Amino acid sequence: MAFLTLQLLFRRLVLAIPILLCVSALVFGILRLLPADPVGMSLPPGATAADYEKLKQAFGLDRPLFEQYLIWLGKLLSGDMGGSIFFRRPVTELIAKALPATLELVSAGFALGVIVGGAGGLGMFAMRGGAGEHALDGATTIMMAIPEFLWAILLILFVGVSLQLLPFIGRLGPGIQLPPPVTGFLLVDSVLTGRWDSLRSALLHLVLPATALAIGLAPLVMRVLRSSLLETVQDDYITQARLRGVSERRILLRHALPNAALPAISLIGVQGGFMFGGTVLVEMIFAYPGIGNLMVDAVRNHDLPVIQAVALVYCVLVLGINAVVDVAYMAVNPRLRLAGSR
Amino acid sequence: MMTLVAKGLSVSARLAGQTVTVLRDLDFAIEPGKILGLVGESGAGKSMIGRVLARSLPSGFVVSGGSLAFSAADGKVRDLVAMDGADLARLLGDRIAFIPQEPLTALNPLLTVRAQFDEHLARLGVPAGDRIARMIDALTQVRLSAPQSLVERYPFQLSGGMCQRVLIAMAFASNPALVVADEPTTALDVSTQATIVQIMRGLQRDHATAMLFITHDLRLAARVCDEIAVLYAGEVVERGPARIISQDPQHPYTRALQAANPPLRGPLTRLVTLPDQMPGLSALASLQGCRFAPRCPTRDASCETASPELRLVAPGHWVCCAPACSGSRPAVPPITRRSAEASGSEPILVVDTVAKHYPGKRDWMGRRGQGVDAVKAASLSVRPGEFVGIVGESGSGKSTLAKLIMGLEAPTAGRILIDGHDVTAPSSATRSIRLGTLQMVFQDPQSALNPRRPVERLVTQTMEAARSGASDAERLARATALLAETGLPPELINRYPAQLSGGQKQRVNIARALCVTPRLLVADEIVSGLDVSVQAQILNLLLDLRTERGIGLVFISHDLAVVRYLCTRMLVMHQGVVVEEGETDAIFARPQHPYTRALLAAAPPDELDSPWPPAPVQETLDATA
Repeated sequence: MAFLTLQLLFRRLVLAIPILLCVSALVFGILRLLPADPVGMSLPPGATAADYEKLKQAFGLDRPLFEQYLIWLGKLLSGDMGGSIFFRRPVTELIAKALPATLELVSAGFALGVIVGGAGGLGMFAMRGGAGEHALDGATTIMMAIPEFLWAILLILFVGVSLQLLPFIGRLGPGIQLPPPVTGFLLVDSVLTGRWDSLRSALLHLVLPATALAIGLAPLVMRVLRSSLLETVQDDYITQARLRGVSERRILLRHALPNAALPAISLIGVQGGFMFGGTVLVEMIFAYPGIGNLMVDAVRNHDLPVIQAVALVYCVLVLGINAVVDVAYMAVNPRLRLAGSR
Repeated sequence: MMTLVAKGLSVSARLAGQTVTVLRDLDFAIEPGKILGLVGESGAGKSMIGRVLARSLPSGFVVSGGSLAFSAADGKVRDLVAMDGADLARLLGDRIAFIPQEPLTALNPLLTVRAQFDEHLARLGVPAGDRIARMIDALTQVRLSAPQSLVERYPFQLSGGMCQRVLIAMAFASNPALVVADEPTTALDVSTQATIVQIMRGLQRDHATAMLFITHDLRLAARVCDEIAVLYAGEVVERGPARIISQDPQHPYTRALQAANPPLRGPLTRLVTLPDQMPGLSALASLQGCRFAPRCPTRDASCETASPELRLVAPGHWVCCAPACSGSRPAVPPITRRSAEASGSEPILVVDTVAKHYPGKRDWMGRRGQGVDAVKAASLSVRPGEFVGIVGESGSGKSTLAKLIMGLEAPTAGRILIDGHDVTAPSSATRSIRLGTLQMVFQDPQSALNPRRPVERLVTQTMEAARSGASDAERLARATALLAETGLPPELINRYPAQLSGGQKQRVNIARALCVTPRLLVADEIVSGLDVSVQAQILNLLLDLRTERGIGLVFISHDLAVVRYLCTRMLVMHQGVVVEEGETDAIFARPQHPYTRALLAAAPPDELDSPWPPAPVQETLDATA
């Protein structure tokens, strides 16, 4: 299993190279079509045309587009993503600061979506034909009918503003100091340094944005798992287990659920990728300092180096989550692990 | 003390506001160490009895009367119908065990054999430390080799026969008082069937287990069972010792079943078929009198009003038929087989040493896997009006050969000629030669017929392929002619497949292939999904088509008796190789290849006195397989 996992991850890695090259070329090319003038933006007011040409040469923008791309790519490979025009800081530094926040948010949203979706799917199946199923079914329809950014606003209005139950701005409450940085992950650093006040505050700040993200995943998982369970319990091995006197509870959890989970896992893989896209709006609405917010700022200010870098980071994250889901799928399904070894 | 006694057992269903009696007044009993066979075609209600036992009737079905008295070794008698559900669940898998029809799907695909067997032993209360030893012992008893490594495998890594042995081992692990086996060999190859029967009988005899053996196959039941009850439309129509039921049946339905089954030896006469098919649930509600009367060849006026009762005709032999019914057997003409020499013309189809190699999948580094030789150098030729059978077990390459003939796959070596034209490589030119000459009939009419098309459009589907395009009037006229030719009532012309019975669907399937008046049909297992009485109708239809149109046939089947009935020549395939070829009668009389001999020996013979399954032959077959 360990060997196969490594093999799978290695294969994913090899396949990721051409994908990343394509994405980087695409992003680089499309951004050049924007009517943005990074040189002009970088110059102080009152600069001369000579200053402009000088800076343009310094940026390398006077060379052909293909050459520019290769230079950028070469620097990227050595870990240099260039400098932000707007923030006047290295792009790597900006991303290193924002990425852990986004990863924490997505992990929380992902976990919440999978747990709620899994439990809801099981619940809907267990209450099939009854009022409970109809209630849950209605709930999934409402969840899916409203886009996640609107959910974010609704959550802020109801839970944050009206009920004042949970904070909805940033990652930490006012007056709470950041824990000393160890890993860059706020939750992890808080635990490592024993800062329970910042841990509590960070967790509370995660609830609403993570919920807004999870709403994009949970109802789909619920529905797929429910219908997949309904199909699975018709299978022969379920009947045969029942004829062996296996308890209904055990039939559901040990025999039906793992088999029914397979299509749900595939779906989670696809939706997990979309979740990163969801962070852009959700982070902006909750003023959450992740790469989504960084992206919004960069787009607003035509900060091309940042846009390029964040787009690539998103691509890597989506490929990463797909690889994780593949490994999970393989762990559940022996046919993939043992294919060919009949 | 009887293990299981059914008294007046009835099951009814609510159907469109009406109550339909699905099982009527069943009486039977099984004693320890004996096997009772429940024999009937689909819809007879034989599987319903197993579902009553397990209390897993489909929704809307209820036990409306009677009792099922079960007594295990403890001497307590319990009524399985009346007892508490939780108490019944405790008996299942412990005192009452089940062997399923589809072994490959009856094991959880995500768990190893060990995990599933362990779960079962844990439920039986075997301490954790003893379970693996018990497992190995049980698997050795079902003659699985290397059980230590086998338990670590997943079901998809095992063959159907191996899965069934695992399930048999699990069923007998608790030394149950009663084992219910529902068509346990139907999904398996002939040779595997013989082994499975041998293993099951062996265990059942050793443990003196009572067994309920549910099957559609009267010939197999005669071999396996001590007693047989024949079911028709939810009623026991005849019951008695297996030997008597199979050799001297009294009920017209049992006789019809027997007459519809082509024999493996002796003279061939035209199969006697019954009209129509068994009444479905909705038809049962309106049926008066004897349920078999509408199809009975010997009915009289009283049969349509009075329901007959089971009556004793000989010691232990019960028949449910009006006493007036003499049941005289109609005389049947012997079938004439036109041999290839008699027709004397050039072959329509020549397959010359074709082979099909499927390359292995590339792994992630681009290295090719081993690949499969599905067909290795197969040759055959078919003359007009000649019926050629291809016999083999699953994986023998017979279906691949059919695909090569039809041009659905391209051979990797060899040549295929139609009327002397080389059509080896599938292309648009060879396609038009093929379409005018060859047509294929597919195995499963259920999936071969587009459910959204009415019969008229289905049978004239090939007319759409013609460049000119046929007019609606032409199509209607052709469809009407085709229905008449395939023995379908004309009113079916506007029906959809869902409104047809299994036999009717297969006739539509054949009618569609006949639309462009091909000279050769390629039929891949076209009767294997049908009941015996419907199978006989289809076989006779094929013979009639030969007489009337001189059509040729490549008939692919795993069923030796059916091939013997239809085909003048036959090929035996094994692992992609044609191991024997010749006149059917000669091969049946003097099989040359050891595989052919083993295959013939594995099929249960008609004569009850010849021993079956033949143990030593069986081992050689295992060795070659």
